[in-house]
Amino acid sequence: MFRNPEIALDGLPDMEDLDWQQMHPRYARRMQMERLIFVAVAMAVSFVPAIASGGEFAPTVPLWVLVIVVAIPFLGWPLISVPRRGYVIRSKDIVFKSGVFWRSVTAVPFNRVQHVETNNTPLDRKFGLANLQIFTAGGSGGDLSISGLGADVAERLRIYILDKVGASIENH
Amino acid sequence: MKTTEPGRWQRTSPLAVLFFFGKLLKLIAQNAWQSIAPFAAFVFAFEGELATKVVLGVAAFFVISTSVAVLKYWFFRFQLVDDSILIRQGVVKKTQLDIKFDRIQGINTQQNIVFRYFGLVTVNLDTAGSSGNEGSLPAVTREFADSLRTMIGKVRKGDDEVVAVVTPDADALLSLDSRDMIRIGLADRRALIVFAVLSPLIERMDDNVYKIVANYVDDVLGGAWQTNIAAGAVITASAVIAVIAVLALISIGAAFLRYHNFRLFLDGDTLRSHGGLLTSHEVSMNLAKIQTLRLEQGIVMRWFDRYRLSGRQARSSQKQDKSKNFIIPIVTAAQANHLREILLVPEGDDLMQIPTSPEFIPLSPYYMRTRFLLVSLLPTVVAFAVFWNLIGPASLVFLLWLPLSVFLIYRSWQRGGYHCSYDGLVRRSGLLGYRSVALLYRKVQRVSVTQSRYQRSKDLASLRLYMASGSVRIPYIEYSTAKRLRDYILYKVESSQQAWH
Repeated sequence: MFRNPEIALDGLPDMEDLDWQQMHPRYARRMQMERLIFVAVAMAVSFVPAIASGGEFAPTVPLWVLVIVVAIPFLGWPLISVPRRGYVIRSKDIVFKSGVFWRSVTAVPFNRVQHVETNNTPLDRKFGLANLQIFTAGGSGGDLSISGLGADVAERLRIYILDKVGASIENH
Repeated sequence: MKTTEPGRWQRTSPLAVLFFFGKLLKLIAQNAWQSIAPFAAFVFAFEGELATKVVLGVAAFFVISTSVAVLKYWFFRFQLVDDSILIRQGVVKKTQLDIKFDRIQGINTQQNIVFRYFGLVTVNLDTAGSSGNEGSLPAVTREFADSLRTMIGKVRKGDDEVVAVVTPDADALLSLDSRDMIRIGLADRRALIVFAVLSPLIERMDDNVYKIVANYVDDVLGGAWQTNIAAGAVITASAVIAVIAVLALISIGAAFLRYHNFRLFLDGDTLRSHGGLLTSHEVSMNLAKIQTLRLEQGIVMRWFDRYRLSGRQARSSQKQDKSKNFIIPIVTAAQANHLREILLVPEGDDLMQIPTSPEFIPLSPYYMRTRFLLVSLLPTVVAFAVFWNLIGPASLVFLLWLPLSVFLIYRSWQRGGYHCSYDGLVRRSGLLGYRSVALLYRKVQRVSVTQSRYQRSKDLASLRLYMASGSVRIPYIEYSTAKRLRDYILYKVESSQQAWH
């Protein structure tokens, strides 16, 4: 019967002191901009009842207060959450961490990657950012998606990962 | 058509008309309303006696659908080329399918009574990345199906070594008898669903049944027997029992139809099952395609001390696809153990999948606290607050949810657990029954470790393994264990030289 020699579990590479790469510095601003647009729309909508009732602004004041109270932490949140995100490219896999309250660390081995995609929204382009999406088989619960990379970094990563994926297939 | 001779367009047997006819009927049944419209139009558009019109309409329907089926058969042609199978079909809208052999995950065959008499089968080609089976070859000879299977097996393995195709029946890994059919039928959850759907109907029927039975009893006893409340209860109860008995019989009948004379074979590295009463189904799956192996036991199965085993294949991301599971409807614990060793090759033999095994490591008891807050306390408080004003003290009923949910949460913690070896892992879960999912590390697609704030304060974490067939989550284990397992699994995946599919 074929047996693997036992390996020292303590000798395995761990993720304790990885050199986490931060998201692009403009990413927090970009997220705030997106949220600002959302808040602006919400504010505009909150004016509708007042205008519709012919200039009766007083009854909708609590609504505006509510929108503003909710908007402040909503707009400030990216400043807290973005620095918590990070990624590391290792020789065999890519690791991505995120989350403030619910922290998660996801690792995708290159020899399981099916395809890699970069995409950007108009807002991303304005800030010179891009999204990197890494697809594996099955695809339950969404594949690894890293947003907030510099457009050039995302493209370089895409080519690098594809190269790694190709190499792992050839070694097969 | 007897051989897998490449490079020639060929038709299948004329009996394929039956297949197309059946498919047409199914389509009509699925779009019942749209199909009735032209029929109704015909009946009402022409003058004459209603009966004549109905007869004419039915006749027209059969003539039209038969000619459609014949045309479909006539335009269905296929050809085998080096590494793929081409299918041309369609009467008005013509389509050509090109199915590459290496994309074919399994060849499943079906054989209805007529086909069985003529030695024909319908071949369904199950392809990777598509939902449902993509191509079917209706009414080809069994020899053709067998040689196609060999051919595809060869192409996928990339060598010319001939794979043993037919295993003698004596070598079946598993064969089920009639008692097993009864067990499968009784344990089938679908019977309960049917019951739930029918229950409003049954309720209405109950009244009528009650009246009929009551009248009958009155007649027989000449009025001496007063149909009082007790008698009513007896009658209702017996009606319910009768309904349940009928449902159980239907369910057992369904089990016979699908699994009668079920046998399981291993041909080289392909698992093949065969069974069915009127239409016999043959399903095969390459062992390497199995992503997770699931052993399940509902309450009824627990009673019988049996399990249901299923091998799950990679599924397309669009939707959950049940047809990609290889199902072994009933096994004993010993058979399950034996099959696991065979199915999770070559490294699965260290794993223990039987849920009662002492090797399972429990989850942290803190698992229960979060669930208690979210599932017990929160809904109770909300329901209490909402309903107190509406129904007053009657809302105290909601307090009953507390002990019940606490019991269920405790049960789910008790049943939760995991067990791992150097090559794979088994996750056990369950509430009333049991489920244990076995997997091999080298087939993992990606790994994540998550920690909530509360878990962080207790130094706990949840580990999630994404497989091509879905993900497996192990919640509330020690953070250090989660990290160690993750690092080890990554090492296994990244150093694996074997394909995951």
